[in-house]
Amino acid sequence: MTPTLQTRPDVFDTVIVGAGVMGATTALFLARGGQKVALVDRQDMFRAASGVNAGTLTLHMTRAQLIPHAIRGREMWLDSASWLGEDVGALATPGLSMAFTEAEEELLRQRARVRQDMGAPIKVVSPEEAVRIEPGVNPTLRAAAYCALDGHIPTYRVGGAYARALRQAGVTIIENSPVETITPATGGGYDVRVSNRTQPVHGRRIVLSTGAWLEKMLGWLGYTIPIRCLINQLVVTETLPPVMGSVLSIANGLLSLKQFANGSVLIGGGWQGEGNINQGGTRVIPENLRGNVRLAQYVVPRLDEAQVLRVWLGLESETPDAMPLIGALTPDDDAFVVGCVHSGFTSGPYMGRLLAERILGGNPDLSAFDPTRFSTPAATGPQS
Amino acid sequence: MSSPDFSPVTVIGGGIAGATSAIALARHGFPVTLIDEQPAAGGQIFRAPSPYARQTVPPNHEFSGGDALRQKLAASPVDVRFSTRVWGLSPTLTLDLIGPDGIDQLPPSTVVVANGATERFLPFQGWTTPRITGLAGASILMRNGGTLPGQTVVVAGSGPLLFSVAHQVLELGGKVAAIVDAGHRSDWLRLGAMLSLDPARLTQATSWMLRLQQAGIPIHHRANISAAQETETGLLLTVSEMDHPERRHVYAAEAAACGYGLKPSTLITRTAGVQHRHDHVGGYLEPVTDVAGRTSRSDLYVTGDAAGIRGMAVARLRGLITAHAIAQDRRVISARTYETLTRAPLRRLRRLEAVSRRMLPLMNAGSVIPAHLQDETIVCRCERVKAATLRSAIEAGAEDLNQLKAWTRCGMGPCQGRMCEDSARGLLTAACGNTPEEAGSFTDRMPFFPLPLTAVTGTFAYSDIPLPKAAPL
Repeated sequence: MTPTLQTRPDVFDTVIVGAGVMGATTALFLARGGQKVALVDRQDMFRAASGVNAGTLTLHMTRAQLIPHAIRGREMWLDSASWLGEDVGALATPGLSMAFTEAEEELLRQRARVRQDMGAPIKVVSPEEAVRIEPGVNPTLRAAAYCALDGHIPTYRVGGAYARALRQAGVTIIENSPVETITPATGGGYDVRVSNRTQPVHGRRIVLSTGAWLEKMLGWLGYTIPIRCLINQLVVTETLPPVMGSVLSIANGLLSLKQFANGSVLIGGGWQGEGNINQGGTRVIPENLRGNVRLAQYVVPRLDEAQVLRVWLGLESETPDAMPLIGALTPDDDAFVVGCVHSGFTSGPYMGRLLAERILGGNPDLSAFDPTRFSTPAATGPQS
Repeated sequence: MSSPDFSPVTVIGGGIAGATSAIALARHGFPVTLIDEQPAAGGQIFRAPSPYARQTVPPNHEFSGGDALRQKLAASPVDVRFSTRVWGLSPTLTLDLIGPDGIDQLPPSTVVVANGATERFLPFQGWTTPRITGLAGASILMRNGGTLPGQTVVVAGSGPLLFSVAHQVLELGGKVAAIVDAGHRSDWLRLGAMLSLDPARLTQATSWMLRLQQAGIPIHHRANISAAQETETGLLLTVSEMDHPERRHVYAAEAAACGYGLKPSTLITRTAGVQHRHDHVGGYLEPVTDVAGRTSRSDLYVTGDAAGIRGMAVARLRGLITAHAIAQDRRVISARTYETLTRAPLRRLRRLEAVSRRMLPLMNAGSVIPAHLQDETIVCRCERVKAATLRSAIEAGAEDLNQLKAWTRCGMGPCQGRMCEDSARGLLTAACGNTPEEAGSFTDRMPFFPLPLTAVTGTFAYSDIPLPKAAPL
């Protein structure tokens, strides 16, 4: 939306900063719960991690402790028509994680075990069985972990679907509006000052869902939580005849490989690019491009027929214990955060819904994600 | 004067501007590398003809001029890398190349971007049939391949290339069914009046127009092809008058050549992050440059049509002036020597530029077309995105090109939006009432064109892959 100059401050029940999967899902369920909600983003919505990620629905790569959430998130994606209003094209496929060396096999078995304990239907299968499930894989593998509950989504369809659903639910979307400060307002709530409006956007409460930019914004509220910003590389090929039907990965989690319905193959896995989110600009590291694509070609040898169409980088945020931040930041229950969820695209809608439930007075179990576990707010309280 | 800096210069593009610049830079004593995707220098206009074309196409200025340029380049110490393309670059201007020997990198150097122009295409119902080519493509096919796109051709679009292509069809013994021009007849007459400043172009234009007139070819001004329908033997093309949409003309032809003027190729300059501006007369984005091609980056210069469409004669002068400017910036020559060397070329450049700028509105005469695209018309050929899909994304709130791309895949295919960007932007600005600046441009991503996957991977064993440490449990 084109920002307009406001003369009167807007007042909302909840102002959500960060229009990705988690913020937008929170906004959607709050608005449906009867709240007046604003969703603010520094650029257009769904243009950061939620718009450029690999679209993998995975239990293999999700942190073991988050398996129950990932299962629920995956179910939501597969059933998006019922709660988002349209089918975003999520596809359920098997997932195979492979080991090619002795050390990888050991890792594979260990990772499969802890995931089984958390409820993931993962079993280790023989090379012959893996090749039967996925004839495209390199037959020299030593073992594979098989999961029936994986899948993928064409990420590009998600943003438009959310935009339509949010408008229908009456959410005010404020795009291309970088937030400059968030300050407690006299009489309660917060003033969210954005760069292109003279008046702040006022919320009785706020939700921060800004991914890689959380560290800075949590700082405004007095929290010092070092958040690591991963710069994940993705590679997509031109369309080619079917070479695989499942989501493929390797034991250490550093590969995700799938072929979409249109024939293009997406190669990801968290190989790093370089850059700095505050100074802007990220760039591909040529050795990492080569490494990532070699790994993909090794796992699916027929990729030697492919053409590399595009390489890009997406940001992912990670806390010191690699566990999410979801919940209240203040005793007054007027500031919340949701983010830093590993494999956040898989479980994102579920996490957003949980937070909305919590804000609307419910009591979901968010204890493992308590954002105050790293530090208490600075003695002075929220900065003004 | 402090000591001169003779560090290397890389010229991207071996057309008239790039090759002229490279030769002059080498003469100033710089180590120069020239990169070009063609197997020989010459660019689009001076492109080296095939042996068959040398036999079939009558001798012309482009062949002789191109041969002279190639000979001069061969006699210079310029290190030439032909059949080589730039597929990416780093913020410090390391260039990623792919050539006959696979992938290679060129370390950071001063870069002269001379990658010329791209033809603007605007879609219509049925345009994706292989019987429809661009004007520039048709010209290359005829002049450098000696082959007609079809025995009967409708030539459509805007700008001077219309008449050049029509003339080439006749030269090879083909028939032009009609010329369909988006521009006003009066614009051409005004241009004709100015051509006295550029006698070379005046002579050429007069001979083309006489020939076309003698052949009795119908010319429609303020008109465009609105639909193409395939038949057993060719095409049925519907021509609509822009000011009277109810007036239609139907032509049968074996092929159609259609193009709406040229725009600078900005892939490299945009990726390098130099400042750009919209030229509203030309209807395109161009890098901000001074007369010598200096940009907002001191290590990057732009010369020739890549700095704004001015045509062949200006391209040669610009290439020369850019080389002298680099020599001055690197303290190889004094400001005074620079002035002496550039006095005459600059005077000529200013005179020719006046004519060139007059061409821009003629080339951009189709700018109103995208607003009226029919819903069923395919805008993005690579991803098969129709006008209706773009309009519904705009309705859902996409107000700039990158959001439109993210939501519809328009511009995500192999051509990176080079074909559809202008029509998507035109459609967007018409629907939202925003400016071309607000609508923006597609973000360019590497590789700039599809790369064979095996060129990236090479020969390797599993143990060669530097596997990062495992993700957290």
